[in-house]
Amino acid sequence: MELEESPKQQYSDKEKSNIFNNEFMPHINSMYNFAYRLTLDQDDSKDLVQDTYLKAYRFIDSFQQGTNAKAWLFRILKNSFINDYRKKSKEPSKVDYQEVESYYNSEEVDRQITPDLRVEALKDMIGDEISNALNSLDVDFRTVIILCDLEGFKYDEMAKILDIPIGTVRSRLHRARNLLKEKLSEYAKQMGYKNA
Amino acid sequence: MSNPDQNQMKQECQNQRECMEMLQLIVDGEASPEQKEHFLVHHLEECMPCYKNYHLEVAIRQLLKNKCTGQAPQELIDSIKAKVISNLAP
Ligand SMILES: [Zn+2]
Repeated sequence: MELEESPKQQYSDKEKSNIFNNEFMPHINSMYNFAYRLTLDQDDSKDLVQDTYLKAYRFIDSFQQGTNAKAWLFRILKNSFINDYRKKSKEPSKVDYQEVESYYNSEEVDRQITPDLRVEALKDMIGDEISNALNSLDVDFRTVIILCDLEGFKYDEMAKILDIPIGTVRSRLHRARNLLKEKLSEYAKQMGYKNA
Repeated sequence: MSNPDQNQMKQECQNQRECMEMLQLIVDGEASPEQKEHFLVHHLEECMPCYKNYHLEVAIRQLLKNKCTGQAPQELIDSIKAKVISNLAP
């Protein structure tokens, strides 16, 4: 997974082209969506995806064929975002991971935050409510929901992409989903659902 | 999963914490077949809060998948391909 590692392969130009077109490019929609949800800006997300693909090509010898290309690409994109884009943004990460861990281990986890958010209310959310709710979450919470719920990564893959332990993946997901439900529940109330 | 008789179900979950963790493992595809069978077939039949939570989690994921994915712009795809092809040229 490491770009910094010395390359283990030496692909010919034809092999490189094959890997790029058949293993990397099929993930372009997922990559663009991830970039857009991270930056929340169309131009930034295009730049981020392009940078990522060019980096992936430059370091293609560190990619081992037959391993998970999508996870490899997502990790490069996430690192580029942290190094090149997050710095630019004024808003620093608000997540205190210590706090997340202690949250997960506390009794608070037993408390159902929105017990009455109902499936019927969700069914009426045919506009941008869910997208706005997702985008409103802190970027670290947004990220785990994208990786897990939209892209279907497993916990161990997420741990590698994000460089965090699996336990942290699980606690962050748990917290992220509660926050998302809180948001959705606010929208449901605005839509006139009582006790939502 | 059948449609359980809601009047017969428990209104309080006795193992809320364990259930919430199990529910997360199941919707994330990380639970074993035995865990799934126990929770989805046996527990959900009798536990109202878990029954509701499970369907809520599934509905949220469905909504996320339908509403929060998109397509990369064609110009971006073209631009990446052009840059890489020029790199590949001898
Ligand atoms: Zn239960």
